[in-house]
Amino acid sequence: MAKIDLDNMLEKIKNTQWSLSDVDWDAPGAELITPEQWPKLKAFMADLMWIEHVGARAFAAMAKKAPDDTLRQIYTYFHAEEQRHANAEMALMKRWGMLEDGELPEPNNNLRLVIEWLDRFADDQPVYVLGTVVPMLEIALDGALCKFLLDTVDDPVCHQAFELINGDEARHLGVGFSVMEMQGHGKTYIELIRMTAQLMDPRLILGIASYFPLLNKMRDNIVEMGLPEEKLYEAMRKFEKIGGRTGDGRRNPWFQIIKHHGRFVVDRKKRFYHAPIDALVKVADVIPKKAFPAVPSWVKEITYHPTA
Amino acid sequence: MKNNQPLAQQQPPADALIIGAGFAGLGTAIRLQQQGIRNITILERSDDVGGTWRDNQYPGAACDIPSNLYSFSFAQNPNWSRSFSGSREILEYIHHLVNHFNLRQYIRFNQNVSNLAWDQDKGLWQATTTDGDVFSGRTTVMAQGPLSNPGWPGIVGIEDFEGKKLHSAAWDHDYDLKGKRIAVIGTGASAIQIVPELAKCADKLTVFQRTPPWIMPRPDFTTPDWNKTLFRKAPVSQTAVRKALYLAHESMALAVIWNSPLTRFAERLGRWHLRKQVPDRWLRRQLTPDYRMGCKRILVSNDYYPALQKPNTKLITWPIDRISENGIRTVEGIEHQFDCIVFATGFEVSNAGTPFPITGIGGRSLNEEWKRGAQAYKSINVSGYPNLFFTFGPNSGPGHNSALVYMESQMDYIVRSIRTIQSLKLKALDVRQSAQDDHNRSIQSRLAKTNWNSGCQSWYLTEDGFNATMYPGFATQYAKQMADLELEDYRLLAEEAASETV
Ligand SMILES: Cc1cc2nc3c(=O)[nH]c(=O)nc-3n(C[C@H](O)[C@H](O)[C@H](O)COP(=O)(O)OP(=O)(O)OC[C@H]3O[C@@H](n4cnc5c(N)ncnc54)[C@H](O)[C@@H]3O)c2cc1C
Ligand SMILES: [Fe+2]
Ligand SMILES: [Fe+2]
Repeated sequence: MAKIDLDNMLEKIKNTQWSLSDVDWDAPGAELITPEQWPKLKAFMADLMWIEHVGARAFAAMAKKAPDDTLRQIYTYFHAEEQRHANAEMALMKRWGMLEDGELPEPNNNLRLVIEWLDRFADDQPVYVLGTVVPMLEIALDGALCKFLLDTVDDPVCHQAFELINGDEARHLGVGFSVMEMQGHGKTYIELIRMTAQLMDPRLILGIASYFPLLNKMRDNIVEMGLPEEKLYEAMRKFEKIGGRTGDGRRNPWFQIIKHHGRFVVDRKKRFYHAPIDALVKVADVIPKKAFPAVPSWVKEITYHPTA
Repeated sequence: MKNNQPLAQQQPPADALIIGAGFAGLGTAIRLQQQGIRNITILERSDDVGGTWRDNQYPGAACDIPSNLYSFSFAQNPNWSRSFSGSREILEYIHHLVNHFNLRQYIRFNQNVSNLAWDQDKGLWQATTTDGDVFSGRTTVMAQGPLSNPGWPGIVGIEDFEGKKLHSAAWDHDYDLKGKRIAVIGTGASAIQIVPELAKCADKLTVFQRTPPWIMPRPDFTTPDWNKTLFRKAPVSQTAVRKALYLAHESMALAVIWNSPLTRFAERLGRWHLRKQVPDRWLRRQLTPDYRMGCKRILVSNDYYPALQKPNTKLITWPIDRISENGIRTVEGIEHQFDCIVFATGFEVSNAGTPFPITGIGGRSLNEEWKRGAQAYKSINVSGYPNLFFTFGPNSGPGHNSALVYMESQMDYIVRSIRTIQSLKLKALDVRQSAQDDHNRSIQSRLAKTNWNSGCQSWYLTEDGFNATMYPGFATQYAKQMADLELEDYRLLAEEAASETV
């Protein structure tokens, strides 16, 4: 991937939009989901849809902090596009009989923590923090979750929907890595120190405390679905490969941090990492629903109805 | 009705040919008349006077400036029913002016000017209308309105929509909005007035926002009867109120025009207003502007935020992808379906061109000259276009005070110039290019320090970010700029001799 021209990218984004009504959600093929697959797929899709949705919220925060107008507009589109992915995935769930009329899937507790964090603190984060975490999540999703889904599900409508979604994701990644490189451009050791000092910000630590378990939780879900966890790791290594392909990319201190963290995630032998994080996943699981504050209103904006 | 009469060239030319019968055109006619100049022709493309206030009759249309200040100082109205009058009441006031000053005799209705050209030999401006009629004038006043041509957004698929399309500035009162599913595109000055009204009658109302405006609380109240009586019996009391309002608005320039501690204070006031009216954190985030206050027009409303929170109303901030047969598709993948789309998308602003071709000395084209941003001398004259006067010309826009205050300065300048042309028996009064350049250098360097040029996109700026619209200062400074006719800045051409006098 060469460095991309963001103005051209914005034009391209504007010219290649799609909407839920481009897909016939009642076309035949839903019956191809086996009864054996169904419950696991339901849990998987619910998580996937929520991850899209929190990704959307992260882009909203990035739009506020974007360093220039072009990026601000791009992130505003990405915000909406991630919402569209969540909507489309919900439409699939509806098609597969996984949702009652008007039902919204329950987010798992790890996601609830992430939602809480995003809602309270995301807008205050420097743009490069989210600008690095988001590509990591995207590549994990893109490379592992979606691909895996398409390998296991035969429903042609699912394939049609994900073809559209993946078209968007390719651009998200293109922009994501370009921006990481832009941010790494000309960075020095001193800046590295300064940027890492921001890690001491308690708000960011809270964010980390919700992001790390989310990755482990995803891993657990994938394993549950029968996906070799190696696939997830492969995708995460891709982050390291693409993000670090240029000097500028490597000089982005946040890339370094996320990269190292990624290495921990993919190495189960790192017990000192996984034991506490897995524990956090478990802890999150037992947080009573009542302990969470009411979900923020942006959460209720998703819908499986192509028209409103 | 159409005035069927012989071609205007055969008639003696008007001393003043005025294009447009809004506040500016009518006000200029009143002032000329008061100076004994009565050979006036006003060309108006519509069949009624009133301009802005005739065209903008959408539900909720009202003025953002208190009526005591948004009226002519030489024709105050003691009977305003509210502190901020509605569009209809302002239109009534304009009708009152027309009758009181007997202006109807000057007006040619249904005459839409499509070309204006200077005839150097005759020393006359020739205005051609779309019907092919030609009217001439020794002097011409461009009073066609800064905001008189509805602007439509460049959204793909507008023509495809099969429901009703309404523009705020061309309302169709025969269309019944009751029980309809209605979209409003835009969140500018008109939109925030329309939305609360539509929320009362629509079955479903969806507001599409691209950029949230700064909105301040509006101190609106009905005028008690004792107050009207006082104003009638003692006009000085009204003049005093007007003066106070004027000064109050002048002080706002400190917050609006320049980035000052007062800007911060005003932003805090705006945020407080939002917090008080909108409890939901996400909605508040959507409604919080992320540009400096004053960069775009500041709005006032008490009922916009509450209206957005009614059960039948929804704010959408997703970018619009396209308009389809049934509604509006936004990027989150949903088609929002409507019976009616209201375009509250403002006006075509001629900050980089002229509304119709204007040809000056030696065939020069003003549209061409203004392509990269309009420029004039003191907003009112352009070199090479003698005896031509602009109301709301380049860099005359008020950001913080009544447009009529600025307009009165322009009208007086025009009357003084026309009287000078008559008394000195001039064929042409043409501003010098050097004077115009000096003026613009100073204006642009002052503009660079203002909030308008602080980095947001607005209709104040051309596509290249050149500010040809706003006046960077107090209304008082503007009035001072317009107070003197400095003849040394002009080339004077005497009527008989073709040679230049100094
Ligand atoms: C919705 C709205 C709200 C506003 N609120 C405020 C406010 O709160 N405070 C404030 O100070 N200002 C406000 N303004 C600005 C307002 O435009 C001015 O205050 C003032 O009304 C301008 O008067 P005008 O005579 O210059 O133009 P207009 O009132 O627009 O009159 C121009 C006239 O010229 C005619 N015309 C145009 N082109 C041609 C042509 N080619 N041939 C013949 N006739 C033509 C038009 O039909 C019209 O009658 C508002 C404007 C709008 C649109
Ligand atoms: Fe996505
Ligand atoms: Fe994405």
